[in-house]
Amino acid sequence: MDELILALEECDLNENAVCAPSNVTDLFEFRTPIVEILGFPITRTVFLIFLAGLIAVLLLWFGLRKGATQPGKFQLSIESLMTYIRDEVAVGIIGPLGIKYYPYLMALFIFILIGNAFEVTPFINFPITSRMAIPLFLSLLTWVIFVFAGFKRNGISYLTGIIWPPGVPVALKPLVGLIEFVSVFLVRPFSLAVRLFANLVAGHVMLSLLLVTALVSVVGLFTGEIPVIKGVFGFAWWALALAIFCFEMIVIILQAYIFTLLSAVYIDTSINVEH
Amino acid sequence: MEELKGAIALIGYGLAAIGPGIGIGLIAGSAVEAMARQPEAAGMVRTTMFLGIAFTEALALIAFVLFFLA
Repeated sequence: MDELILALEECDLNENAVCAPSNVTDLFEFRTPIVEILGFPITRTVFLIFLAGLIAVLLLWFGLRKGATQPGKFQLSIESLMTYIRDEVAVGIIGPLGIKYYPYLMALFIFILIGNAFEVTPFINFPITSRMAIPLFLSLLTWVIFVFAGFKRNGISYLTGIIWPPGVPVALKPLVGLIEFVSVFLVRPFSLAVRLFANLVAGHVMLSLLLVTALVSVVGLFTGEIPVIKGVFGFAWWALALAIFCFEMIVIILQAYIFTLLSAVYIDTSINVEH
Repeated sequence: MEELKGAIALIGYGLAAIGPGIGIGLIAGSAVEAMARQPEAAGMVRTTMFLGIAFTEALALIAFVLFFLA
């Protein structure tokens, strides 16, 4: 088990207060692939991405398979989730045109939720959304969708409607245009990705370092390698890790919901540009 | 100088976290007051509150990521 826990390997509690590898970003990299299929290395992260997709598909498949008019508990929960995303996010934010984007928003929410939830599942304590590729790709998808939707619906007046909101004095037009262009077309996808990414990275780093420190401290207390004060303090690290664990459960759902909500808001500002 | 770089990055992150902290407090406070004044609008207020919190928290998170880059 030791080779899977990087923070456990280079742990010297007599030097540092907390067990940490020399480079914290090493906690997120898996160098050796599990298996190589046709020359394409499948590392742990790649395997987890496919697993998240598979779980999402299976959840929806088994939830909606029977379609009984008096639904059982599982079907009821899946249906209530879908109704909530449809009524509050897709149609609630975008309006009647939002039903066209509802499958995308639903898939986004479920995939990000399951990907985030891997942080707290027992044997897979690694959130796949903490690797920048996943949030970056998803936010690029949202960006492509809202830009293309805006241009398809409004033509070139989409660009002028975003860059120069109605009521801007002519003298200020270049400056406001530049600020709005950067804000809408460049900052939005970047901040959408970074928000999800940094939340999950922070949670994973804190949980890994604190829990391994607590483990090494308490075990060292019993084997006698660690001074007693540091060993007892391991319980404090453990309590802090428990509090952060509970907080992470809220962050997981909240960050998935916020990503979906902001995607819907961006699509809404593209489609329903007030003239 | 290498240790100072890490320490300065940490101080920078601490300073950058003040603004979003105050901002999110203001947003949540206004949302609670609005929900107390008019409980029928609680759903819309809650959604807008989440939106506002997401935007201001993004600044603190960008600071967090830049801390690791330095």
